[in-house]
Amino acid sequence: MALLRKEPKAEPTEKWEAQLRKGCLELAILACLWDKRLYGLEILRGLEENSKLVLAEGTVYPILARLKEDGLLQSEWVEADAGHPRKYYWLTAPGRQKVVSMAQFWNSFAANLNGLLKPVLNGKGRV
Amino acid sequence: MNLMTSNPMIESYFAALETQLSDLQESKRQEVVRELRAHIFDRLEQITVPTDEDCRTVLQAMGSPQEIGRQYRIELLLNRSAWKISPWRMLRTLSRWTLTGIQGYIVFILALLGYTTGACFYVTALLKPFFPRNVGMFVSEQGVNLARFPGPPQGVEMLGAYYVPFAVVLGFLFTLGTTLAIRFVIRRFGRLKQKVAGMAAA
Repeated sequence: MALLRKEPKAEPTEKWEAQLRKGCLELAILACLWDKRLYGLEILRGLEENSKLVLAEGTVYPILARLKEDGLLQSEWVEADAGHPRKYYWLTAPGRQKVVSMAQFWNSFAANLNGLLKPVLNGKGRV
Repeated sequence: MNLMTSNPMIESYFAALETQLSDLQESKRQEVVRELRAHIFDRLEQITVPTDEDCRTVLQAMGSPQEIGRQYRIELLLNRSAWKISPWRMLRTLSRWTLTGIQGYIVFILALLGYTTGACFYVTALLKPFFPRNVGMFVSEQGVNLARFPGPPQGVEMLGAYYVPFAVVLGFLFTLGTTLAIRFVIRRFGRLKQKVAGMAAA
């Protein structure tokens, strides 16, 4: 009978966490660039310091490329004084508008969800 | 020290990545490779004397060329096709989309039908001067027939020589209409699909 039993494909909680991270990555990248120009590795460091959003470092670059194609970011190669050139990114005017509206949505969304989660986290009202 | 050209592990990584990115335009592909090389270089620069093991760790942290290539295709190809008009490019992008579900498959089949109809009008417009009795707009009780060989189609021919400009215009409208419809679908649903595909890969 053991042969017939289905093996779980992935830990559901882990999968959900990965999905959540992916979904938030775009907002987090745009937020990193709010007040400064950064190159890829600096953006990654910002994400690593303030969140645990990045699973593989290379996956940030395709998102940056698409955000640029969408006109939300602009980029430029800059020669460093010592070392090699780096590609810096910054927000365009539509990019700033977008990150503001995304942040506002996130704020109200998180506030509503936190309200729902309060009793769960407090462990009160269990049936 | 030039780690970027001297380490075979890094070179084979970027060779694999370039293969994965073969669908991208040459200039865009080179831009991607240059940026990711700069990233690897930055990571290795933090280590005083990087060993092969350090290179392996840095490349592993980057993600596999297959995964990065897949992400670029998802992020850029659908996006790019939302603005291009080449039927061939549209179909190539859609054919990849078909692999991710029934929704993409249906769009691909409809796009193929639209382009094939457009192509039929173009082909018949080209053939009309050479086979005036076999090609044209023949209307009968059974419907409309555009061409038949070796004998002429049944029904009455409606347009005569005017069929050529008529077919060219219809062919153009079908091609343009199909392209605009695909672009709409990609813009409307493609981004959603990217997120679904991205999440599924996580």
